[in-house]
Amino acid sequence: MEAYFVAIAIIGAIYVLLALGLTVQYGLTGLVNFGHVGFFAIGAYASALISMQGVPLVLSFACAAAIAALAAWPIGLVALRLRDDYFAVVTLGFSETVRLTITSEKWLTNGVQGIPGVPRAFAGLGVGMPGALATLGAIALVCALAALMLRRIAASPFGRVIEAIRDNEDALRALGKDPARFKIQVLALGAALAGVAGAFYAHYITYLSPDQFIPLVTFYVWMAMIMGGVGRVSGAVVGALLLMLFLEGTRFLRDLAPDLISAVDMASVRLGAVGLALILFTLFRPQGLVGDYTRR
Amino acid sequence: MFGQLLVAGIVHGLIIGLAALAVTLVFGVARFPNAAAGDTMTVGAYAGLAAHRASGSLLLAGGAAVAAAGLVSLLGYLLVFRPLARRPVAALLVAAIGLAFVIRAVLGVIFGHQQHVFQVPLTWPIEVMGIRIPPMDITLAAVAACALAAAFGVLHLTSIGRQMRAVADDPDLARVCGIRPLRVMVALWLLAGAAAGVAGLMLGVKTVVAPEMGWEGLLTAFAAAILGGIGSPAGAVVAGLLLGVAQEISTPIVGFTYKIALAFAVMLAVLLVRPRGLFGRVEGLR
Repeated sequence: MEAYFVAIAIIGAIYVLLALGLTVQYGLTGLVNFGHVGFFAIGAYASALISMQGVPLVLSFACAAAIAALAAWPIGLVALRLRDDYFAVVTLGFSETVRLTITSEKWLTNGVQGIPGVPRAFAGLGVGMPGALATLGAIALVCALAALMLRRIAASPFGRVIEAIRDNEDALRALGKDPARFKIQVLALGAALAGVAGAFYAHYITYLSPDQFIPLVTFYVWMAMIMGGVGRVSGAVVGALLLMLFLEGTRFLRDLAPDLISAVDMASVRLGAVGLALILFTLFRPQGLVGDYTRR
Repeated sequence: MFGQLLVAGIVHGLIIGLAALAVTLVFGVARFPNAAAGDTMTVGAYAGLAAHRASGSLLLAGGAAVAAAGLVSLLGYLLVFRPLARRPVAALLVAAIGLAFVIRAVLGVIFGHQQHVFQVPLTWPIEVMGIRIPPMDITLAAVAACALAAAFGVLHLTSIGRQMRAVADDPDLARVCGIRPLRVMVALWLLAGAAAGVAGLMLGVKTVVAPEMGWEGLLTAFAAAILGGIGSPAGAVVAGLLLGVAQEISTPIVGFTYKIALAFAVMLAVLLVRPRGLFGRVEGLR
């Protein structure tokens, strides 16, 4: 039972990191990134492949963050010229292209068969509880650092500029600021957080395949962020916890009554529930559960 | 070999063109890329499949596809997009994704996740100048041509079509001229849904019917709509044909999985080099 809670906590913390990344990009800056899972996948594969060459995990995690941030750079260059709606389509296309590339380039990623045997984090402590607890401690620390960093950013001059990009880009231009540089930095920062989340995922699950990185994952994170409250660090954390409650709850329900509903039907029900949550929250509670009530 | 791929590309391109027509109509008038368009296609495919199993007639299947997809599209507008009309575009985008998931989930629960095929009689291909053309391709091309003719007829020959184009050009001016927005929007979403439904039916006949089929075709439809120029129905069809042929011809070279990546590359190139697409109007912003 403890092992189960630790496992949930680790996956939940991975979603917290992803949600924090999206919070910088959409919550603070207003960039509609529909391809978050692409950066998550890049981080996961980068860290897995690099660490399997015998590189220590600390370095491979750093590489995952750097490579994901680097992948965001061209997307940032494109983003400068596009409106929200086009940017959403482009990022969605980006994440699908990443997934297709992983599927096709078998020499690097082993295609749909996936990569088994990714080195486990804290392998020195063994497979059982101590290793898992150490992983949880590490990811919780990273989450706390990221949350702290976001709070500092939101309160800094940089934070005021990116919030201005979200609220009124033209006014910002008129004040002589160039939104371009800020957008690229924000995208790279969010992507790096997603990349680190991917690295944690790779070294915790220890098996990677392209079907773990479908667009649905992006919208899990969107759902977490919207439920929690857009543009708030606490919202990202609360949202990720609610998301885990939802994901595990639906699994639990099926375990309780396996005859009632089949596994594939449950997948549909989950998908429908995510869709419904996205629609209902946008319609009736766009500020989320703990979001800023003074603003719509 | 080349001629063979060209024929396959044209049929495939007509499907993309119809889907892109649905995307571009909504994008041009309601001003957001409707991510639920792909799953509206899937609705058309399943409705057509059910009608075809019940009656065995492809014509009835077409009617069912148009009716079901049009209805779903209209419901999506009335229940989700209309209440969000005055909100930032990000809200519409997220809601569209949500709607797409809900549609796919409902289809998955009703019809299951296994793939279905249309039971159409196997026939010998006709040979024209050394190119073998399956009669079903000719039928499908004819269906697509009729659907496109009907759509363009509505857009250019009827009063509601003129009103639609007026709203697409300048919504405020159209309102001042006494065009009632609600009527236009209802007609628009019905038309877009119907086009998506026919596209889905054709895709289902040509390949297999599965809950993910529409979502997987969505990016290609977006790419065609952007290549053709947002808000340009003729552009969407031409771009769809171009993309379809390009995808088929490139398949032996880059492999099957990169079909969608090709669409993405085209989309990026168009957005960076010529954002108004082939036939689009110059707009202040993209």
